[in-house]
Amino acid sequence: MLTIMTQTINNNTQQEWSPKQKAGFRFLFLFFILQALPLSVDLFRFLFGPNWLSYGYIFNLTRLAPKFIPGADSFINWIIVLVLALIGSFVWAGSRYKEQDYDKLYYWLRTVVRYRLAIGIIGYGFLKFFPLQAPFPSISNLNTAYGDFNDWKIFSLSLGIVPGYEAFLGGVEILVGLLLLFRKTATFGALLILVFTGNVFISNLAYEGGEYVYSFYLISFATLVFWFDAHRVFNLISLDRPTQPNAYQPIFVGTQQTLRIGLKAVVIFFFVFLYGFKTYSGYHHDPYQFPKTAGLKHAAGIYNVSEFRINNKVLPYSATDPVRWRDVVFEKWATLSIRSNRPVLIDSANYEQISQKDEDRNYELVGSAGRHYYSYKVDTISQTLLLTNKNPHYRNEHFSLNYIRPDSTTIILNGLDQNRDSIYVVLNKIDKKYPINLGRRKVLKL
Amino acid sequence: MANNITPTQETKPVAAPWSWQKKLGFRIIFIFFLAMSIPSTASWYNNVFTLNWLRPHYRDLYDIARFQPSYVRWFTGGPNYGDVDGAPLPQEKNNDDNATSRDKRGERHHRYDRDTVNSKSNSTAIAPTIKSNDNNNVSMPPKRNFFADYADWGVALIFGIVGGLIWTLIDRKSKSYNLLYYWIRVVVRYRAGIGIIGFGFTKLFPTQMPYPSLGLLNSNFGDFTAQKIYWMSVGVVPWYQVFGGVVEIVAGTLLFFRNTTTYGAILLAGALFDITLVNYAYDGGVHVYAFYFVLLSLFLIADDVPALYNLIIREKYTTHYRVYPDFTKPGLKYPRIVLKALTFIIFFGILTYTEVINFKYDPYKQPSTAGVKKLRGNYHVTDFKINGQELPYNPNDSVRWQEATFENWTTLTFRVNKPVVIDPSNGGGSPMHDIQRTFEITGVAGGERAYHYYADTVDKVLYLQDKNAVALLGNRRGGRGGANRRENQNQRPGNWISAEAWKHIGDESKMIDPAAWSARRDREFAQKQRGQKRNRMVLKYDTTDGSRVILSGINEHRDSIYVVLDRYDRKYVLPKSILSAGKY
Repeated sequence: MLTIMTQTINNNTQQEWSPKQKAGFRFLFLFFILQALPLSVDLFRFLFGPNWLSYGYIFNLTRLAPKFIPGADSFINWIIVLVLALIGSFVWAGSRYKEQDYDKLYYWLRTVVRYRLAIGIIGYGFLKFFPLQAPFPSISNLNTAYGDFNDWKIFSLSLGIVPGYEAFLGGVEILVGLLLLFRKTATFGALLILVFTGNVFISNLAYEGGEYVYSFYLISFATLVFWFDAHRVFNLISLDRPTQPNAYQPIFVGTQQTLRIGLKAVVIFFFVFLYGFKTYSGYHHDPYQFPKTAGLKHAAGIYNVSEFRINNKVLPYSATDPVRWRDVVFEKWATLSIRSNRPVLIDSANYEQISQKDEDRNYELVGSAGRHYYSYKVDTISQTLLLTNKNPHYRNEHFSLNYIRPDSTTIILNGLDQNRDSIYVVLNKIDKKYPINLGRRKVLKL
Repeated sequence: MANNITPTQETKPVAAPWSWQKKLGFRIIFIFFLAMSIPSTASWYNNVFTLNWLRPHYRDLYDIARFQPSYVRWFTGGPNYGDVDGAPLPQEKNNDDNATSRDKRGERHHRYDRDTVNSKSNSTAIAPTIKSNDNNNVSMPPKRNFFADYADWGVALIFGIVGGLIWTLIDRKSKSYNLLYYWIRVVVRYRAGIGIIGFGFTKLFPTQMPYPSLGLLNSNFGDFTAQKIYWMSVGVVPWYQVFGGVVEIVAGTLLFFRNTTTYGAILLAGALFDITLVNYAYDGGVHVYAFYFVLLSLFLIADDVPALYNLIIREKYTTHYRVYPDFTKPGLKYPRIVLKALTFIIFFGILTYTEVINFKYDPYKQPSTAGVKKLRGNYHVTDFKINGQELPYNPNDSVRWQEATFENWTTLTFRVNKPVVIDPSNGGGSPMHDIQRTFEITGVAGGERAYHYYADTVDKVLYLQDKNAVALLGNRRGGRGGANRRENQNQRPGNWISAEAWKHIGDESKMIDPAAWSARRDREFAQKQRGQKRNRMVLKYDTTDGSRVILSGINEHRDSIYVVLDRYDRKYVLPKSILSAGKY
C-alpha cells in the first residue's frame, strides 16, 4: 500500500472540510473514479480483438467508458454509475474509512480524472491532427446533392475539405491533453476543454451526431479538474481579493518517485508517441474511413451513362425513369456508386468507430441518399466485376457484370443486375472540375 | 474555504512610479488601441447621423457595431477592404475608380454603403480573370500577401509609435498612467462588446447563415466553393447558429462589467480565434475582422495573466490591485449610468427588436418578397422547345433545362449543362432589393442559374433577370470593364417592363410586411437603379394550381422557348428546422 507523504504550506490555511462537503466529496469521488474505469461490455472485445496495437486498437482503448448496456453510448449507463456511487458513499460513511485525509483523496481523484481525460482527448486529437476522422470527400460524396445528406454527414464532409483546419483542431486537443498531464497546468487545460469540447457537445446535439454522451463525459471530467481552482480564480479576478494558492503539495520519495515518473513516461510513450506514430502511418497507408483494396486500375472518376439498355430495350436519358442509371462513380478504391431514381434507405451510423475490414468501412455511404454503393471484386482474367451492395439495408444484392474498356475513358458494362434483368451500359468519363479546390487567395497552411 | 489570512509576502504599493520604458510602452499602446477602437470612416458617422431611430432597420445598428480601423485609404484613397459578411474582393479596387466617377456624374451612390459590402451592389464589380483551361470558368482573384490584409493595423501601430514618441516629449510630469489604463480598457471593452453583440444577434435570430434554398439543396456537394460549404454547414442547423449567437452575446455582455471582463475576454478570444482559422481554411473573407476581436480580447486578458500565472502555476499568494476612478463623484457617476444604459437600450432593445423583425419578415440574405403562391417547389422539365424545336431530356445538352425550381420567394432557378462564371462572393451585405440578395447563387457551380422575377399576376407574365451579376463579364463579346459599363449607363432598367406591367407588379418596397418597412429601405429604393447588364427573360406562365406550369417566351439569348414543368415532391434527407426565416 503506497503511503504518500504530503506537505502543506501554512497548516492553518488548509481548508477545513465540513461534514456536508465530506459527504458530497465521497459521492463525487466514487462517481468519478467509477466513470474513469473501463467498466465496459466492450472491454473484452477490444482487449483481445485482432490487430494488437494498431491505431484503431489504441483509439478504442481511449474510448472505453462505463457501459453496461451494449450498443450506442447512453446516459442510462451514467445513471447506473450514479446509483452505485450513491450506495458506495453511504457504505463509506458508515465505515471506519470515514476519517481520511480528504485533501490527499482530492489530489488522487483529480490525478486519475485528469489522466483519463488526457488520454481520452488525445485519442481524438491524433485522428484529427492526421486528418483521418473527417477525410476529404470521396468522388461519390462530391457528386451527391447537398439535400441528400443528413446533418452529421454534412458536418463531416464540411470539415473534410479543410484538412489544415482539422489538423489544427487535433493539435489543440493534443496540446490540451499534454497540459492535463501536469498538475500545475491542468487547470488551464481543463478550461480549454470546457470551451472546445463544449462546442463539440453542442455540435453533436445540433447535427444529430452520436458523440454527445461521450463529449459530455469529457466535459464532466474537465469540470472536476477545473473546479479545484475555480474558487481561487473567481476570488482573484471577480472579487479582486488577495488569494491563497493551493496549499496541498504531494511529495514522492524514493521508489515512489521512480514509480511516478515511470508511470507518467509509460502513459506519454504509449498514448502520445506510439499512438501518434501509428496514426501518422495510418494516415499515409490506411485511412480508416475508406476501404483499402484498390479499385479498377485508372478507372477513378465520374462517368456519364451515355447508353443504357435493359432487356435489350434502350432507355433514353430521363429525369424520372425509376430504373435508368444517371451517372456512375468509380472510386480509387474498390467501390463504385450508381446515381439513379431508385430510392435509398440510408445507413445513418453517426458515431466514431475504426474498422479493419473493408466491408465495415461505410463512411462513404453513411448518411447519404441519391446513390447506391457497391463494393466490387475484379477478375482481370474474365474481365468481370463482382458487386455487392454496401448498404446494410440491401446486403443481399450481389451480381456480376462484364466490363470492356475500349479506351481509357470508356467502360462498357453488361450482365444481370440485382433484379436479374440484363443490362448493357456505356460509361464515358467526365472531366469534372470541383470549385472546392479553387480558393480565392493563397491557402494558409496550418 | 476562507481566504482572510494575513499575507506573508510584501505587497507592492500601487502608486509606485512607472519606469520610462513602461510609460513609453503604455503611450504607444494607448494610442494604438484608441486608433483600433474608434470608427475612422466617414460612412460610419454618416450612418449614425442619418439614422432614423423611429423607423430603424437592423443594418443601421449593425453598421454602428461593425467597423474596423481603416487608415490606409486616408493615404491611398482606395476603398475600405473591411471585410464583412461577403467581403468585396480585391479587384474591387480597380473598379472603384469607376464608382467614384459615377458619383461625379451626379448619381447618388449609397454613401453609407461604400465601406460595407454593398460597394458591389450597384456596380458591375468583379472583372474576373478567367482561367482559360477551366471548364467551369470560375473567376480567380489574384493572390495577396498574407500581411497585406492587416495593413490598416500596421498604420494604427505607426500612429501609436509616432504619437507615443511625441507624447513622451511633451509630457514630462506624469509618473504613471493607472487611470488612463483603466479608460483605454473601458474603450476596448465596449468596442469589443458592442462589436460582437452586433454579430451575435444575427445568429441569435438566425439570418447570418440562411438555410439553403431549394436550388442549393439540389446542387452537388462538389459544386460549391469551400466558403459556400462552410456557410451552408451552419445554415442547415439554425439552433446551432442560435447557440453561436448566445455565446457571442454572453461574451459581449460579460465585457460590459468590470468583474466579468476577463471571462468574457477569454470566451471571445477562444471563439473568435477559431473563427479566424475557419476563415483562413475556407477562405471566408472575414479573417481580419475576426482576428481583430482576438487582439482586443488578448489585450484585456493580458492584465490578468501575470496574476493567474502566479496563483495557479507558481502557486504563490497573489494580490492583484486595480485602479479605478472614483465613480461616486457625480461628474463620473451620472454619465456612466447614462452611457451604460444607452448601450443596453440600443443594443439590447432596439437592435433586438430590429433583428426579430428581420428574421420574421426580411431576412437580409435571402429575398424577402413572397413568390407567386402557385409557383412553388421542385419541377421536372418535361418538355422543352427552343425556337420550335423540341429537345429531349439530356443532362449533357448545353441548352435544355434539366430541372427547375420555384423558391418560396421571387426566384426561379434552373440547371443547364453550360458553364457559368461563378460569383465567388458571399452574397452578404444587406441590400434591400431582392435581386441583389445573391446568397442563393454565389459560390455555386454545376450549371445552376438563379433568376429573380417580377410577377405580373394579372397578365401572368414573369420578368426575369439573372441574379448572377458576373455571369456576363466572362463574355468576350460583352467587352471588359469600363467600356461595357459606360455603355449601360444609358440603359434604363425599367424600360423592358412596360408601365402597365409595373402597375400590375406593384411597388417592390411595399411587398413585405409593413412591420419591416424602414427608412433605410425607402432610401435604397428611392435611388435610381443603375443599368446593370444582366441576362433577361420574359416568360408567360400558365397554370391552374401550380402542379403543371407552362412557361413560354423569350430567353436570355433572345430565343423563344416553351417549357413544360411538372412539380414533384422531392424528399430530402437533410431535415428542415422549425426555425424558418421570412414570411412567404
